[in-house]
Amino acid sequence: MRRTRLLAGALTASLALLAACGYDATTVPETKPSASSPSGSPTTDPVECSNATESYRSSSDRAAAVRELKNRNLLVVGVSADTLKLGSANPFDKFAIQGFDIDVAEAIAKELGVKLRLRVITAADRIKLLKSGEIDLVVRNMTMNCARWEEIGFSEVYYNAAQKVLVRADDVAAFEKTGVKSLAKKKVCAPTGSTSLDNIKSIESTAIAVGAANHTGCLVLFQQGAVDAITGDDTVLAGLAAQDPYAKVPDQDGLSQEPYGVGVAKENVDLIRYINSVLDRRRNNGDWQSSYDTWLKPYLKDKNPPPAPTKFRG
Amino acid sequence: MSQTATPQAAPPPPATAAAPAPVAVPDAAPTHVDTPRRLNQWQLIGMSVAIVFGLVSALVQFVGWQADGRAAADTEQLGRVQKIQSTLLSADALATNAFLVGGLEDPDQRAKYDAAIDEVLREIASASRAQEADLEVLKDLNVAVTTYATAVAQARANNRLGYPIGAEYLSGASAELRATAIPILDALVAANTDRAEGSMAGQHPFWLLLVGLLALAALFVLNRQLAQAFHRRLNKGLVVAAIIVLGVTVVTVFAAFIRDSSNDSLRDNEFAAAVSLANTRTAANDAKAIESLRLIQRGSGAAAEEKWAAARTEVEKGLGRADAVADWNAYAERHQALVALDDGGDWDRAKDLATTSSPEGTTAPFQDFDEETAAEAQKQSDIAVEDLDSGRLLALLFSGLTVLLGVVAAVAVARGIGERRREFS
Repeated sequence: MRRTRLLAGALTASLALLAACGYDATTVPETKPSASSPSGSPTTDPVECSNATESYRSSSDRAAAVRELKNRNLLVVGVSADTLKLGSANPFDKFAIQGFDIDVAEAIAKELGVKLRLRVITAADRIKLLKSGEIDLVVRNMTMNCARWEEIGFSEVYYNAAQKVLVRADDVAAFEKTGVKSLAKKKVCAPTGSTSLDNIKSIESTAIAVGAANHTGCLVLFQQGAVDAITGDDTVLAGLAAQDPYAKVPDQDGLSQEPYGVGVAKENVDLIRYINSVLDRRRNNGDWQSSYDTWLKPYLKDKNPPPAPTKFRG
Repeated sequence: MSQTATPQAAPPPPATAAAPAPVAVPDAAPTHVDTPRRLNQWQLIGMSVAIVFGLVSALVQFVGWQADGRAAADTEQLGRVQKIQSTLLSADALATNAFLVGGLEDPDQRAKYDAAIDEVLREIASASRAQEADLEVLKDLNVAVTTYATAVAQARANNRLGYPIGAEYLSGASAELRATAIPILDALVAANTDRAEGSMAGQHPFWLLLVGLLALAALFVLNRQLAQAFHRRLNKGLVVAAIIVLGVTVVTVFAAFIRDSSNDSLRDNEFAAAVSLANTRTAANDAKAIESLRLIQRGSGAAAEEKWAAARTEVEKGLGRADAVADWNAYAERHQALVALDDGGDWDRAKDLATTSSPEGTTAPFQDFDEETAAEAQKQSDIAVEDLDSGRLLALLFSGLTVLLGVVAAVAVARGIGERRREFS
């Protein structure tokens, strides 16, 4: 009888266990985050040249310039469409791309007497597309430097940008008093891989570098309170400040100079010369000033056009 | 079948009050057999065999009944999480497409997006209630969806102001959705697919057959013992018990075999179709969202096209099962036209092609494909769940009946052997 009871007990327990049995909890496999350095230094060695802002002497030979276009009736210019005030699509004007850089592109096309096609490109594609011949020019806040001169040609400087810092409206007074030192132990954002954070860290080593995909990504972090400041070219910061009334670019000296030039394929020297003549005219006839006043002055105060070049490559 | 008691063993000797002086009786082992005691033992063994057979057979049937129930619930949960995944990417496709036209987005598209997010949140709540093992990851999914919806709202607010940061919020939300929510949903789909397929293999005709054969063998051996002891070939009670065991075994093995085959067929057909169609729909919505994102992030066409092509490959894996091949092909062709326009610098026309609701745009054939695929996936999933649930009550009743029949068999054994005992007395 005892065995029977034991057997019955075991079977009852088995039934109870079966009724109660469940599944292991669902788990999500872990993925390794991709390593990224917010302030990675460039891996290429700097290329020496006497003056990265020296371009070719200007020329009004329009026919020679047009001959160097891929399509004689069309000027294809690589631009940005998401950098407010330099080049961005305006949803209130049929998404037309507008800005300080676009004014430069439009002036060149107009004086060449050809139709303008704006092709939106990423910063990473600027040199590649010029070299492949898919675009004629790049007017996309492109800094002239010796390394780039090795690969492409540039017009003369059409804007002298400077690396600056954007802060919260309530940090403006502190920044204007002590400059970059006011960023001690604060989080400063710049695009991942940019060297601009190195300039901040060399002055205030306790500043915390934070990377984002681009400057607009930095503004998202800024609005979410994840960073306290953003550093970059003053032109780009002007576009960010225009989107957020609590984001300010205080009065400050630039941390580095960033001369912008129009990027052109290296062999198209006649085109570069003609572009320089267009830039000269814009500087002298007030078009440059008018464009600056429209797009950048409200955020970057008064500024004059870059001085006329005195030295040339040839 | 009259039976006469013919005891082989002599009755036990009468007990003596005092034992005589010990006398050496070498090799005088007692040769008598305690027949009543043996009959009691056989009766106990026979009854135990019948009851254990009833219980174990019922238990195996109960396990099968429970497995089918779990398979139905797991299939339903799988359909639910796949629906969440598809609907979430559908919401992303709607949000990114609506964003393209600027702040004045199409109210219908906006309503569809809101409805999609509402449905996702409701289904997450239902899924949490339905499967406790999914609860923890569903909590994380809930956070991810809420974060996504918040970022889309910020994107819209900025888009209405015409600020480029709106596009950054939106593309960030889409990227985060794919980095956080989609891996959770992939894990949920994988876990519930494993569970459903495992549960569908929960019928055990072999074990039912083995239990029946063992019980029959035990009853046969018992009958042989009785036959040797009483010179009768068959014991009526044992025969009745054996017939019950045989009948129950044949019926249950046959039923379990049919059920097992049916589950195999279901797993390879309706269940597989439901899973495949849901995957197809998910990948298609991913492709549509990528198409809009390439136009939002102007200039990023090449990188976006690689992602679109990967999504297309995923869609076309399941196209054989879909009835909407023509709609998908029409969408894919128009997408290629859109790419040609965008790459050729005509972003405006590419955007128009993506956003127009006319039949010539990319959206119309895509929506037809999406609706048809969603309906077909739901239909296949419903068939699978219904089939797994069908006949379960009968299976449960038979499981209970098996216990009763085991008891009846035990009573038959008791009566059959009890008859021998009475004859012996």
